[in-house]
Amino acid sequence: MADSRRIEQAAADWLARREAGDGGPGEREALDAWLAEDTAHRVAFLRLEAAWQQAGRLQALAAGLPAGKVPPRGHWPTAAATAPAATPLGPPDLSGLDFAARRHAPPPPRWRHALAGALAVVALGSAAAWSGWQLTGRHQAHYASGIGQVRTQALADGSTATLSSDSELDVSITRGERHIALRRGEAFFDVAHDPGRPFVVEAEGRRVAAVGTRFSVRRDPAGLRVVVTEGKVRLESRPGADGRALPVALLPAGSVATAGRGGVLVRSLPVEEAERYLEWRDGYLTFEDTSLADAAAEFNRFNTRRLEVADAATAELRIGGNFRWSNAEGFVGLLEQGFPVRAERHPDRIVLHSQ
Amino acid sequence: MPTDFDAWFVREILAHERALAQFLQRSWPHRDELHDLRQETYARVYEAATRALPTSPKAFLFATARHLMTDRLRRSRVVSIEPVGDFESSNVYLIDEVSPERWLGTRQALKRLVEALDRLPDRCREVVWLRRVEELPQKDVARRLGISEKTVEKHLAKGMRLIADCLYGGDAAPVAGRPRHPGPVTDEDDGHGRQQAD
Repeated sequence: MADSRRIEQAAADWLARREAGDGGPGEREALDAWLAEDTAHRVAFLRLEAAWQQAGRLQALAAGLPAGKVPPRGHWPTAAATAPAATPLGPPDLSGLDFAARRHAPPPPRWRHALAGALAVVALGSAAAWSGWQLTGRHQAHYASGIGQVRTQALADGSTATLSSDSELDVSITRGERHIALRRGEAFFDVAHDPGRPFVVEAEGRRVAAVGTRFSVRRDPAGLRVVVTEGKVRLESRPGADGRALPVALLPAGSVATAGRGGVLVRSLPVEEAERYLEWRDGYLTFEDTSLADAAAEFNRFNTRRLEVADAATAELRIGGNFRWSNAEGFVGLLEQGFPVRAERHPDRIVLHSQ
Repeated sequence: MPTDFDAWFVREILAHERALAQFLQRSWPHRDELHDLRQETYARVYEAATRALPTSPKAFLFATARHLMTDRLRRSRVVSIEPVGDFESSNVYLIDEVSPERWLGTRQALKRLVEALDRLPDRCREVVWLRRVEELPQKDVARRLGISEKTVEKHLAKGMRLIADCLYGGDAAPVAGRPRHPGPVTDEDDGHGRQQAD
């Protein structure tokens, strides 16, 4: 065992002993002496102590749970009660008027879900949706978001759609199908389970079909991207120019599928990794060994002040990290600090050059 | 017990651990030395900062890591045939520095804590829950789980290490092409350095 690991272990033992609170006389002095012995001891201890202190925030999860019982993994029902309710101010809940199978009791919210409640939620086009439903027994609505807006919209079947910046979709819900046309941008769907009515998202000649699951669909100049974080979805393509049907791809959770002119490329990732593609919902962009050109394009989806890359050397710089999409300026500041990049600032755009 | 200076260190230096771990991982070919490099970097920063607080803590942290690697490279008598990454400029890993501690106290941090908790081995997770979340006295925890207080303490120490790794985590930042392993770590796993060794 390397020295540093032995030190970390010792630091953890000291901290656990201190937390036990029954240190005999001299315990405190002994700890202080150990800490003073070596800076490596001190930093190892500090690091564990600070994390342990942060772990106290987990207490928020225990509110309302029976004392002395450790909840099972992955289920954090009370987090829903402590976080603001995730139910948006969408159109009125019309499930009572529905003629299709009613939705069953929602599954226990998982913590991630519950935590997502802090997202700002705005109702759009609800009046139109309401009258459309009354007149025809079919629910139709149009939703759009502006640049820099992320909005979560409740749909009449109990599903929700989260629109990324500068996105647009049409919803049509009938007896037999829930149909979404993604006109622009990207949206994440949390689909209410309803085996009788498939939930279909259509864009660029492809259909993404699900019964009850969580996934996102995004339009890019290069094609369509589908990220599945729960359940399974089916990706179908319009028959090719020669009339031949294209194979159907079945995408399980963790899939990141890119459908372009050349076909469909599917990567299977651990679900948590796939979720990184969806961090925009929480206000972040995550890059991992991403070219600066791609990162700039990503920022440009969310901001009116554009990032432009002036030369190939700059475009090819690889970067990584986690950024607020609303803070392109801060991102540029970091680039200047850490990379051979010079930024030229204009009111409507920032141009990045090699130094 | 932590002083203001210690609080500064946690907020301005440790908050960058994820970025630092990735930087070291990319720049240094010997994975088994990463844990040690990280700790020595911290120790050097801590000592230097007690003399004079750096104005740009993150830049200082990375500069320190760079110097440390350069020193070690010079000292090592065996010339490495593996390419050592360019740790001069183009490879620096960034995190949003507008507020380096931004994730401490945020929803993201809570999310990571929940993840950390759920990835602990069973017994360890029970102990952490009862001690840290419910704040039951150590004696009660021992009685409830039918184990000795000494064992409770051992699980607690392990939980502390794993939670720190996950919270500050290099661990939460898998490198492309090297998927990390979801799910709880096993009891056999000593939990060390998963962020580097994965």
